[in-house]
Amino acid sequence: MNTGNNLRIGPFEIFFPVTQVLEKPRQNGGQQFPGKLFVVEGIDGSGKSTQLSLLHKWLESKGYGVVFSTWNSSPLVKDTTKLGKKKKMLTPATFSLIHATDFADRIERSILPLLKAGAVVLCDRYIYTAFARDVARGMDSKWVRELYGFAMKPSVAFYFRVPLETAIGRLVTARDGFKFYEAGLDLGLADDPTESFRLFQGRIIQEYEKMIPEFGLTVIDATLPVEVQQAQVRQIAKTHLDRARELRVRP
Amino acid sequence: MRKTYGKVLPGMKLNDLSGKLIVVEGTDGAGRTTQINLLKTWLEEQGHAVLDTGMTRSMLAGEGIRRAKEGNNLGRVTQSLFYATDFVDRLENEIVPALRAGFVVLTDRYIYSLMARAIVRGMDAAWIRSIYSVALVPDAVIYLRIGVDELIPRVIFSRGFDYWESGMDVFPGQDMYESFRSYQSALLAEFDKLSVEYHFETVDASSDVKTVFAELQKKVMRILEGDSRKEFVSKLYEQVAEMSQLRTEAIFAAIPREMQRTDLELLLRSAAANEASGNGRNVA
Repeated sequence: MNTGNNLRIGPFEIFFPVTQVLEKPRQNGGQQFPGKLFVVEGIDGSGKSTQLSLLHKWLESKGYGVVFSTWNSSPLVKDTTKLGKKKKMLTPATFSLIHATDFADRIERSILPLLKAGAVVLCDRYIYTAFARDVARGMDSKWVRELYGFAMKPSVAFYFRVPLETAIGRLVTARDGFKFYEAGLDLGLADDPTESFRLFQGRIIQEYEKMIPEFGLTVIDATLPVEVQQAQVRQIAKTHLDRARELRVRP
Repeated sequence: MRKTYGKVLPGMKLNDLSGKLIVVEGTDGAGRTTQINLLKTWLEEQGHAVLDTGMTRSMLAGEGIRRAKEGNNLGRVTQSLFYATDFVDRLENEIVPALRAGFVVLTDRYIYSLMARAIVRGMDAAWIRSIYSVALVPDAVIYLRIGVDELIPRVIFSRGFDYWESGMDVFPGQDMYESFRSYQSALLAEFDKLSVEYHFETVDASSDVKTVFAELQKKVMRILEGDSRKEFVSKLYEQVAEMSQLRTEAIFAAIPREMQRTDLELLLRSAAANEASGNGRNVA
């Protein structure tokens, strides 16, 4: 059934069949589209969002058509997620599924058309966040990977690696207290939110480490100065963009 | 021990799910809702505790799905996953607890409808199957089958064509009638395939309500026969009787001796005796 990059069933064409992410990962998955997809991953407090916004500014200054998409932001789904979180109704399974639904909506409605149109799409968190969190919550790792089988492989997935204590140090100064699901309080690992956060994020780091070889994540040392990290990020992004000059938005 | 289609959700224990899970499947307009209401009343009359559930009735996602369907921008993948969220929420919070409590669970559609709809919308069959591998294998799937030609008059003369039931998102170039025909035929073909794979018990739903119901009753009766819970229920009754006896004794122990000769005592005694013997005989 699988013909080339797309899958055809009757009159329909599926752009990203399951098997491609799972069994035959495309090393340059973004390449069947003219656009480019850069994603950042890492635990809270790793500084990934700062790095992505700096990349965003740089790309814009270079004249690229850039679009930004954040985790958990689909207008169609977010009310349901909010309800589930507020009422603490989410189990590991429904937590996983509602986030996949949100992601699917963003893929179908914005990310995919943008990539086809030749934009540079920047994602703050991508499927790897779901893999790390859901598996840390006890979901089957293969099941979660198949669930996200519709996602396209990014041009580059940056993983901002940071020791847990550094991240917690950054967060404690930046905000007051952790949220219920963010700290993994649903798992009953510890009663104290900070302690629960520490244990839960520890599990998440383990999952990220496993994914580095599995998905070829690009590791950035997030303990380096912001400027140094950004220089590395831009250099890597540039090698992908050099091959796609036609993406530039002409003034 | 109950089984799933491959994967078990975290925290879900499959032992002690002593109830019965009965699925009623069928395309839109096959009469599922009517039959489920009849079955529920009938089973309750016979003393079974019944939970009925169905698609988009979850606390978590029901409202979200309804709102998303009002617009015209619900994509195929998103739609499939939203329904999966709704399903798993009901599985974990309604179906499994009810089965554990010994209920007969009647579900209006199950994973098969969801799979058929997704496949007809061009989703990868292996993908959708993998998602629903966490579902429990039911005790029976009763498939109310009706052909498209018999279905169309039913729909026209009841509520009329509906955007989603007509699969207008799948066949956008066609008018509603054509689209309904194409979509329901595609669903039917998919159901027929699934019916072999998942051992559906097919009932001809083109007959009148009474005939279909009689057919369903036969099938349901067969499922509930040989139910090991009959023994369990009679034991439960014994326990309840014993507990009520103990409670009566405790009440009397708590009453001071000098009060025991009052009218209240006599009244309580007779009431308690009635309750314990359970046959309403007056022993006062």
